[in-house]
Order: sequence, then structure tokens, then C-alpha cells
Amino acid sequence: MSCLVSPPTRRAFLAAAGGVGSLAAFPISTGWAQTNQRLTVADAGGEITRANETTLYEPFRKESGIAVTVIAREHEPISQVKALVESKSFIWDVVALTAQQAMTLDAEGLLDPLDWNDPHMNELIPAAKAPNWMAHSTYAAVMGYRKDKYGANGPQSWADFWNVQKFPGRRSLRKSPIETLEMALMADGVPIDKIYPIDMDRAFASLDKIKKHIHVWWTGGAQSTQLLQSGEVDMIPIWSARLQTIIDAGAPAVTVWNQGIYAADGWGIPKGTPRAPAARRMIQYFARPDRQAARATLLGNGPSNLKAFDNIPADRAKLLPTFPDNLNKMLANDDGWWFKNREKAIERFNAWLIS
Amino acid sequence: MSFGAVDAKADAMQPAAAHSPQPAPSKRLVWAMPLIPALLFLTIFFIYPVADLLLLSFTNKSGAFDLEQYRAVYSSKVYIDVLLITLKIALMIVAFCLILGYPVAYLLANAAPKTRARLVIWVLMPFWTSFLVRAFAWMILLGNNGPITKAVNIFGPEPPIKLIYNLTGVMIGTVQALLPLAILVMMAAMQNIDANLTRAASTMGARGGQAFWRIYFPLSFPGVAAAGLLTFITAMGFFITPALLGGPRETMIAQIILVQVQELLNWRFAGALSLLLLALSFVVFLLYDRATGLSSQAQSTQPGRVQRPPGRLAATWSASLLAILGWLGSASDAAMKALEAVFPRRNDRPGRRGPGLLQIAVGMVLVFLVAPALIVVPVSFTSGSFIAFPPVGFSLRWYETYLGSPVWVAATLVSFLVALVTGLLATILGGAAAFVFIRHEFFGKRMLVALFIAPLVIPRIIIAVAMFYLFAKLGLIGSLWGLIIGHTVLALPFVVVTVMSVLKSYDERYDHAALTLGATPLRTLRHVTLPLIKPAIIAAFLFSFVTSFDELTVALFISAGTVTTLPKMMWSDLILQMNPTLAAVSAVILIIATVIVLAAEAIKRRASYE
Repeated sequence: MSCLVSPPTRRAFLAAAGGVGSLAAFPISTGWAQTNQRLTVADAGGEITRANETTLYEPFRKESGIAVTVIAREHEPISQVKALVESKSFIWDVVALTAQQAMTLDAEGLLDPLDWNDPHMNELIPAAKAPNWMAHSTYAAVMGYRKDKYGANGPQSWADFWNVQKFPGRRSLRKSPIETLEMALMADGVPIDKIYPIDMDRAFASLDKIKKHIHVWWTGGAQSTQLLQSGEVDMIPIWSARLQTIIDAGAPAVTVWNQGIYAADGWGIPKGTPRAPAARRMIQYFARPDRQAARATLLGNGPSNLKAFDNIPADRAKLLPTFPDNLNKMLANDDGWWFKNREKAIERFNAWLIS
Repeated sequence: MSFGAVDAKADAMQPAAAHSPQPAPSKRLVWAMPLIPALLFLTIFFIYPVADLLLLSFTNKSGAFDLEQYRAVYSSKVYIDVLLITLKIALMIVAFCLILGYPVAYLLANAAPKTRARLVIWVLMPFWTSFLVRAFAWMILLGNNGPITKAVNIFGPEPPIKLIYNLTGVMIGTVQALLPLAILVMMAAMQNIDANLTRAASTMGARGGQAFWRIYFPLSFPGVAAAGLLTFITAMGFFITPALLGGPRETMIAQIILVQVQELLNWRFAGALSLLLLALSFVVFLLYDRATGLSSQAQSTQPGRVQRPPGRLAATWSASLLAILGWLGSASDAAMKALEAVFPRRNDRPGRRGPGLLQIAVGMVLVFLVAPALIVVPVSFTSGSFIAFPPVGFSLRWYETYLGSPVWVAATLVSFLVALVTGLLATILGGAAAFVFIRHEFFGKRMLVALFIAPLVIPRIIIAVAMFYLFAKLGLIGSLWGLIIGHTVLALPFVVVTVMSVLKSYDERYDHAALTLGATPLRTLRHVTLPLIKPAIIAAFLFSFVTSFDELTVALFISAGTVTTLPKMMWSDLILQMNPTLAAVSAVILIIATVIVLAAEAIKRRASYE
């Protein structure tokens, strides 16, 4: 970790000054000085808040002088973002959002634009950038398996996961079409660059083959870790950071990066918050490579600014989704395809499950 | 199922004023006064905001009237199928809760007060562990490497029966969660049954089976009906436990609605699905109410009433019911006789066989109820960082994490405070409403009762979103009062149904006696009615308390992160993995709650000695 506290920059000062100017557009009673110096950030809570606190929020407070309050939000926060924008009760100024969530909100005009006039924001990987959303972090759905079950010859691809003769054992899949359909296609031999647009008929035909061998359909992240850690199942698609948590704690599990699916986690600003200028400044801060490097040493999520790897120890770097060797083996989630097709996909998936 | 001579329909035709002992023309509507606060409360904080949101389902994107959402529901078979699966699972849960709960309620209601107090503590156990912690406890207990499967594995390499990730798992998890509710509601009604009636039947020659099925069971029926209704409606809204413990086919409609609201931002479609769920539940409620007479007035004890002869259909219905009950009585008597032939009764301890069986059955149900707690407490002392059984090592580190954190402790205190105020508010509002519902007949009563139950039917996510818009206007977002109001709306159905079920079998002649002797109505309520229905009031308060104490969705929305409750802390701690802190929290809550219940019991006992 390099310097935790850097002196206020000229850019930061200008952003603050700009903030004061644009406040005139928002008639609020609390007064500009106070509102400009206070931000409420809604993130996922728990471990993630603890890591963000030391590597992002606290250094930002020190550098900007802005008071940052942190609260834990729903896993799926977009309905609350809609409610707070429409009722103009801006209890949150910066919200942690996935790309999907940001697209859904953006389609209804519920996000404020970001300020892309920032060198670090333009260093980010393509998956981390959208007009009204920026990702500071990446996650991946990878295969995890039990070392005590398969030893050195574990499953290495989704085709292996589907191969119940060669790899007997209990399996779990996620009870959602997202990522599962892609895995089904890869298992059926579709190359990584031909996954999108998803051929749903082919994906469901592939799922038909594995359906009766699925011991558990998991619904929550904590459930997926519990299943693998307790040995309830022998292989499972799981988010890499969670898998790393149980490996670090001593579970005999292995991460398979090959044919993993990566996506990005980022931030958005609820449309109309009077504290948008300060919020924009904060999101810019999250793009800095040194901050992302510090965060990646605490959480198993990768940086979205690959320059961060200059400051991440090598043994840690290889556990992260955006580590080049891992990234090369993985599929980038096509959020655009999912945004257009997920309603249909979810409906078909639910019908398929209960049939 | 009206066991008396009058059916519910005949009742509904009685003019309301005729029921008051002394109808005063100038005070015609005074009887309805106790209903007003609850009705106003529900209208402002539930009906208005939720209707606003649900009516979106009749519009299209441009806001004009359109049934496109309903066409979308029907264009895919999946939604109706899921609705039917939900109905099937809910009905199964109800059946298990009533069958397993009845013997427990019976034994508790007829036990000595001291024994009852000791046993109720076990029945209450599931209330004090968060639903999330309980689901994980079941995952450990019933999983491949769990103690139960391991025990079964002694007889074979593969477990012959899969206990989890299928319908069995869903039943185990949900029935355990709802059993305390069913038991307490039935117990409250049973404690009002005059034991002399069964004794009289025996004196007149009825054998045990006949006396039970023809006398005791009909008298306990309002409690069974209320317990069935509450468990049914609650079960219709379940989804987290079924999702965690079920298989692919155990998909509940609330889950589908949640995804539409939260992930797809498709509120119109979610509104359409919710209205269908509401309509289905409403139809079930009406049929159920007609069959059980739950919301109709208490009948047999009304003095000076012209009792209409029952209609032909009702008469046939009652007659066949009596025949069934008589048959059940003979059947149980025959079964007991056969059992006695195989295992002769010991002469030195007459009557030992029956209670023995009952006690064994009740003991097994109690073990089932406390099983998750039996896992959670040892796990909380683990020195490892996983929830696993048997736990690894011994340490107090998870207790240090919990009790050493000001945030955790503050969240615990906030939850206790909010639950306490919610319990009081809901009990007062709902209890008063229940009085009006049971003691008076008026036009549209059934609709009103249904309305009071609706907060249990509408998915919580819909209520939470709808309340947010209203509370934002009222400045209640992020306030303790916002949270309390939200939770009170959710708790009202439990109070109204519980209190109604007991008032139904309450003998109003006690009140009339007091009034005749010159007591004011308020004094009568305080010194006669309330002491007599105390078990129901306590149960209603407990349900409200627990509803609030374990509530997550509304808390997440209304508190907006600024007021942190215990379920919210637990939920956000669960982001990456289930860790033993949650087990430690559950163990502490379990101990605190049990100590409070014990202390209340001790104070009560001391007071009764004086």
C-alpha cells in the first residue's frame, strides 16, 4: 500500500468549487456549506464496508474534508433508488451498483451523470465504464471444487462439470439464468467468443442434460459458500471473492479460473441529489490505482484499473479476477445482452425449473 | 363449520344494535368506536400507499388504463403454476402445523400452570433465532455431513431419504417456523374451555374418544380455525426458507414478485401478480371463513336473541359434521381398545396409557422445535470461522465480536425497543378492532376482517416500496416511528385473528353479570374480560413483538440505513459467508428472551400468591 493520505489536488479543489456553483440549481433548506461537505454512501455492508472504509472512505475523508456516512443497502438496491429519486428524499448520494442495476436505472433516467474528465477514470477496463456508472472493482463467477474429493485431477471446465461419469459427485448451480446459461453453452462446446447473443434453445437443451444431477440450486452468495465449505456439494459456480474467503479460512477448495465469467461492480449517483458534485468527486477518487490496489489486498475482488497491479503483491494478484492470466481465460459478461433479454430469460428459466 | 344451531349467514342479517344489552338510540354507532383507530391507521399507512402501487398494474407506460400486465401473466403458464405450487405448499404447511400443534396446545392448555410455563419456553424457542440463522442450522442438520444424515448412513452408504433441497426440507424448515404460532393460538382458545364440559360427558357415559371429538374438539375449533388461517396466510408469503431448503420445484410466488420489483424494476407486473395473489388468498379466506365461522359472532352465549333456524344447506353441513365427529370418536375409542388389548393397562396406574402416548408425541414435537437452537448454541462457541457441526475447538471470540461492538449492541437495543412499542401498539389497536368484529354484526364486516389480514398477504417488498413514498412525504424515513408504524401494520393481522378466536368462545354472560352489578363498561373490560382472555392478549403481543424483531424488508427501506436493527446487521454481516457471529447473536437473544419469559412467569406467580 502506498500513501494513504495524499494532499488535496488542484483537480479536487476545482471539483469542490464547481460543486458550489451547481448547487444553486437545487433549492434546499440546509444551506450549501453543510450539504456540500456531507455525503452518504450506500454499499453492500459487512466485509465490503469494512474494506471500503479503510481503503476508500477514510482516505477520501482526509483528502477532501467531506464527511462520509456509510450505510448498508439491499443486495438489489434499484427499487429503493427509484423510490428515493421519485420522492426526492436523498438519503443516499452514492450507491454501489452492478452494471445491470445501473443500466436498469439509467433506462428510467434515475442516475445523475458522472464527471469523466479525470485521468484515472479513463484508465479503467472497458467493462468498468458507462456514462452514468463507473466500476472500481471486478468480480467473477468461477467454478469451485473440493480438493479432498478430486485431488489433483479436478474438473477444469464446464464440460467437465457436465460430465457426471468422469467426475462423479454432488453439484450445485445458481437458481438464476444469469451466468448459468453461459455456463451451459460453454459446457456444450460453444467457444468463449461465440457465447453472445445467447442461443437460449441450445442453452436450455444443455441444462436439460445436467438438471437431474443438480443436488442444490443455490440462491444466495452466503449459501453458495456454505455449500462448498461444508462439503455438501463437490463442485459449484461461485463468486471468486467468496471462494477465496473460505480457502483463506482453511476450506479444501480450488478456484478454476478457466471459463469463469467476469463483470464489474461500481457506483452511481441518484438523479437530483443536491450533493451530486461531491458525489462525482468521490467516484473519481475510487478510480485511483493506489486505492484500488489497497482494496484488492483486503477483498478478493479485482481492480478495474489495471495499473493497480503495480502495487499489489504477486501472490495476492494471482487470486484476483483481473489478474491478466485469469482475465485471459474468462468470458466478459455481456450486460447489454442481459439488459435486453433478462425478463424473457428469467421467465423461461423459472418455467424450466418447475417443469 | 358452525357447530351451534345458527349459521353465519343468518347472523349477518341481525341488525347490529340488537346485540348491545341496552341499545341507546342516541349512541347507535358508539359500538364501532374501538374499531376506528385501527381502521384509520390501516387506511393511512397501508391501504392508501399499497393501493396506489398496485393500481399501477392497470396502466401502461404512458399511464393510461391497460390490461397488458394481466395479459402478460396469462401468456406464460409459469405464473399460474407457481401460484398453484405456492398454494399447495401453504396448505401442506397448515396441515402439518395443525396436526403437530394440536396435541402440544392440548397438553399445555390442560397442564398445571407451572408445567405450562416451563414447556412454553421450548415452544417459543424458534421465535428467538432469526429465520436466516435457522435456515442455516437446518442446512447443517439435514445436509450430507450433518448429524442426522450421518446417523442414517450407519445403515447404508447413501442416505435412503433426501431430507433437504426438496419438499421435505421446505416442510421441515417452514413448519418449524410456524408451529409456535399455531400452538399458541390454539392454546389460547383451549385455555378458555371449561374442563367440566368434558367431565360431564364422561359422567354421562361417553368414552374418551367420544368426549374428545364431540365435546372438546368442537369447543377448541375457533382456535384451530384461527391457527389455520394465520399459518396459511403467512405461509403464502414465504420464500426465503423455501428457496434455501427447497428444490427447483419449490418456487414461491413471493420470490417471483420480489425479482420483478427489485431486479427488473417491473412494478406494474409485480402489482398484477400481487393482486392475483391477493385475490386467491381472499377467495380462500372467504371459503374458509364461511366454513369455519371465524369472523362471525359468538353465538351460543348470546342472551335474548331470536335464533333463526339454520338454512337447509347449513343443517345438512352441521349434521354431517356431527356424524363425522361421532365416527371419529368411535374410531378413537376402538383404536384405544385395540391398543389396550395389545398392551394391557396396568392396574396399579389406571389411565396411564393415553397420557403416555400424548406426552411422547408432544416431546417429539418439542425436540423438533428446538433442534436448530441445539445446533446454534454449540456452534457459537467455535474457534473456527465457519458454521459447522460439530464445532471446532472452543472460544468466546464470536461473543467478543458481538458484545464488544457498539454497533451490534446498539442494533440489538433498537430492535428490542421497536419490537416492544410495535407489540404494544399493535395489541391495543388490533385487540380493540377484534372486539368490534366478534361482538357486532354489520354490513361489510367480512371485507373489513379480510382487509386487516391483507398486510400478511401482500408481499413485504411491495409494502416496503409503497410505504417509502408515503413516509418520504411525512418525513418518517430513517426514524424510529417510521419503523414502528411499518411493523405495526405487519403485526396487526396476528393480533386481530388471535384475539378474535378467543373472544369467539368467550362467554359474554360474565360481562353482563358485571354490568348488571353496576360496573362501568371500562371496569368490566379491565377486571372481567381482559383477565379472562389474557392468554390471547399475551400471545398477540408476542406475535407482534417477534414480527418486528425478525423483520428485514421494511426495515431496510424505511430505516434507509440510518437506523440499524438487528436483522439488518445480521443480514449485512452475511454478505460473504455465514459466520459464527450470527450464531453468537442468536444464542444471546435466546438467553435474554428466555430469561424475560421466566422472570415474567415468576413475577406473575409471586403476585398470585399474595
